[in-house]
Order: sequence, then C-alpha cells, then structure tokens
Amino acid sequence: MSGLALPLRALGGSLIEFAHTLGGLALVLGRILRALVPPRFDRDQTWLNFFKVGVKSYPIVVMTALFTGAIMVIQSGQYVKQTGATGLLGWGAGYAVLAEIGPVLIGLMFSGRVGANNTAELGTMKVTEQIDALRALAIEPINYLVVPRFLAMVVMLVLLTALGDLFALIGGALTSELILDVDWRVFFAGVIDGHLLDEFFIGLAKAAGFGASISVVSCHYGLTVSGGATGVGRAVNAAVVTSAIGIFVFDYVITYVANRFL
Amino acid sequence: MSTRRPRETEQPGDRTLEVGEATALLPALRMPEERATVLRVDSVTCWFGDHCVLDRVSLEVREGEVVGIIGPGGVGKTVLVKLCTGLLEPDSGRIDVLGNELGRTGQKDRQRLRERIGLVFQNYALFDFMTVGQNVAFPMLQRGGYTAEDVATRVQERLTEVGLPKVQHLMPNELSGGMKKRVGLARANINDPELIFFDDPTAGLDPVTSSKIFNLIRLTQSHRNSTCVVISHDIDRMRPACDRYVLLYKSRVYFEGTEADAMASEDAVVHEFFRKNEGIGA
Repeated sequence: MSGLALPLRALGGSLIEFAHTLGGLALVLGRILRALVPPRFDRDQTWLNFFKVGVKSYPIVVMTALFTGAIMVIQSGQYVKQTGATGLLGWGAGYAVLAEIGPVLIGLMFSGRVGANNTAELGTMKVTEQIDALRALAIEPINYLVVPRFLAMVVMLVLLTALGDLFALIGGALTSELILDVDWRVFFAGVIDGHLLDEFFIGLAKAAGFGASISVVSCHYGLTVSGGATGVGRAVNAAVVTSAIGIFVFDYVITYVANRFL
Repeated sequence: MSTRRPRETEQPGDRTLEVGEATALLPALRMPEERATVLRVDSVTCWFGDHCVLDRVSLEVREGEVVGIIGPGGVGKTVLVKLCTGLLEPDSGRIDVLGNELGRTGQKDRQRLRERIGLVFQNYALFDFMTVGQNVAFPMLQRGGYTAEDVATRVQERLTEVGLPKVQHLMPNELSGGMKKRVGLARANINDPELIFFDDPTAGLDPVTSSKIFNLIRLTQSHRNSTCVVISHDIDRMRPACDRYVLLYKSRVYFEGTEADAMASEDAVVHEFFRKNEGIGA
C-alpha cells in the first residue's frame, strides 16, 4: 500500500498543479475578454506594445523565414532533380511554408523572444511590487498591462507571419535559382499554380491562435511569480515550455478543423 | 470626509518646512476625538497558510492624524497596510476606509476609493519603464481631466516639495534609495489623497535621510490635512512626525496611545519598545 501511495500522491500533485495552471490561464483569458468588451484598455500602452512586439521582432522573423524557405527547397531539391518535376518545387515549398512550417517556426521564435521577455517583465514588476502599486493607484493591471500585450501579440504575430511567408518564399526562390539551377520564375509559377491561398489563410489563423496562446501563457506566468529573481527565472522557463505546448496544440486543432471542414 | 481644506487655499509648493517648523504645527492637530474616523479596522484576522499573521486586530485612525504602526519584524505591519488598501483580503473582520466597507465595495467603487488613498511602498515600487517625472505624473494622467500644463506644474511642485526639483528626466535606477523614497512620496501625493499609508518609509536609509522623510510626512499632513498611517521600526525619528502609535506584538494590537501614554505604561514590552534607542537619535 505504501509503495503505491507515493506515485499516487505524485500523480495527484501533478494533476492539481495542471488544473491550477489551466484554471489560471482560463481566468486570465476571461479577464482579457471582459476588458475588451466594451474596450477598457490603455491605448498608449497598446501602441507602445505594437512597436515593441512587432517592429523589434521583424528582423528575427525575416531571418527565420528566409532560412526556412531555403531549407524547404534544399530538402525537396534532390527529389525534384531526380524526377525533373521542377514545377512542383514552388508548390511543395510553398505548401509546407505557408500552412505549417512558417507559422510554427515563427511562433516558436516569437515565443522565445516576446513571450519570455513579457513573462520576465511582468514577473519583475510583480516581485518589485509595481503591480501592487498600479492597483494602489486605482489602475487595473489587466487593462493597463495585459490587454495591450494580448492585442499586440495577436495582431503582430499575424502580420509577422504574413511577412515571414513572403520572405520564406523569397528564400526558397533564391535557393532554387542559386543552388538547384531552377529559375526563380518557375519557382513562383509553382507557388501561384498551386492555389495556396487557403494554406496562407490557415497559416494566418494559426498565427492568431499562437499569438493569443503565447500572450495568455506569458502574462499568466508573469503575474503569478513569487520568490524573487529565482521565481522570475522559473516563470520564464515555464512560460516558454507551456507556450511551445500551446503552439503545437493549436496547430493540431486548427489543422484538424481546416482539413475536416474546408 | 468632506471636511478637507479646499485645494484653492493650499500653497504646498511655496517652500519646504524645516524639521522644527513642521513639529511646531503639531499642537493645532492634536485634538482628534471630535474628528471623523477615516480608517476603522475591526477584529481583522489574516492567515497565510497555517500561520496567523494578524489575530483580531482592531484600530481606528481619525482625520488629520499621523499614526505610527510599530512592532517587531514579521508581526504583520505590511500585511495590515495591504489589507487597508484592498491589496489583500482578510480572512475575517471588517475594514472601513473613508466611510466605505472594503469587503462590500465592488471593483469600480474600490477603484474610486483608491483614488482617494496614497501608498508609499517599502521597496519604492517606482515604475522602472518610466522616468521620474512620468512616475509622479502617472496617477494624475490616469485620473484624467487635467491639461498637460496642469500636470507639469503639479509634478514640478511635488518634486520640489520633496527636495528633488531636477530629477524629472532621470530613470528610477539612476536614483539613490532615499531619492526613490521621496519620489514615491511625491507620486503618492500627486492627487492630494485624503489618507496616505507609508510602509516603512525609512527602511535602509541613513539617519539624516530618515529624518528628512519623516519631516516630509509631517509636512504632507500639515499642508493638506491628509491622514497618515506610518509603519516604521525607527521609533526615534518617528517621534516628531506621529501623533499616536499602535504597537503590534504577537499578531495583535498590544498598545495604542500617545508617546506619553507609552512612557506612563508599566508594561515591559511597551517600555522596551519605546525606550529601545533612547538617546541615540531622539
């Protein structure tokens, strides 16, 4: 009996912790949605976050996307060369990049850069009592800090994914021209003939879901930090891991829904 | 709570009072019995896990008073302030602030109430992504209804009052501990709150800066007729600032009264606490 008690207790503890985190995430999401209708958030903070999240993230997104497109072309290059089906190169790379690899990789990069930074920022504010100071000054932290970040992450991740898609295709076209000797016009003709508009929009829908997931997760962990600098470190770690899980869960759900109903 | 002096008659930015001058204003303020109760804590109990931090604590603060809350470290002084400002919820008991029962106020009412309260945090809690000027202006901008000129004038006025007229453009991390405390005080004062809590305003500061801070607290009270609740261990430097003291000991209110009452008390704990540093900084 005592041999069973220990793993059961550990399992129970993990389940309670999981439920606690899930409840916390739901609570943050609920409070964000409540602050959105009618709008009760700080506009200046929203614009500031659009800049911090979007403008400062685009270099890393462009780099990620360029290499992602190039890698897709290199991977499929040997089969294309063997079969001579160069017209399929643009379609194959475009399909993978627009529907799957682009949004997921950009989402993961975004989570590492913006989500981790967000958790650290809010966590530091929490341990230095700045969050309490906001409340003491009659300002609701959700309206002032969280909703602007949520909006910025959702909108900017969609826009960055669209930008990333473009640069991924440019990266693919350059690679096909320079390494595989396939004319870039043939590459883009493959993309256009592949009718990949649906995949492009599915990718953007995924980006919106990833943005919402990253913002809710990073804000939740930031606002619930305890234990000083060590606590902030732990929260950042947990936020990055949970955001990555969130990205894959959303990816699965949206892919399933898209394949089933579209 | 409507007996505050009207804003038009106040000229807080004119000059800074010296310690002696501020202390000289005391007699006019020491008739609290007939004044309205600004803060009433009634049998409040607060648990953190299985540790009882506050056990049936009751106290009253009247309009215009400066009340010092003293006691050994970890006795629950900061918790009491956080309960009184609605940042924490008690497990039992009732807290009335400026005529509002905290437990029964909704979110909007509580926000309106907080606009009438100031809080200076133990660890400054200045917003590190804002300049000093933005920090001080922040409560005013959030409340709204002021022109940019009004805000700039008031911020300059408050910073001059605390002896920091030229730090507006600095970031909080460029200031010393004492300067941060004074900026915190300026921020807490910007909207002329009726009740201000000071959570250990001299923690970690040198004796000279500590005296300056307590002088500023007295000044705040005398200029605006604000009611002040001050938490501190620094009983010697608190003396010129406080009208009355509440001693928290073993999670309960152990003593409540003036310094004279404390000195007249036969209780060893009260004596020890009030005479601990006698002669050092008085």
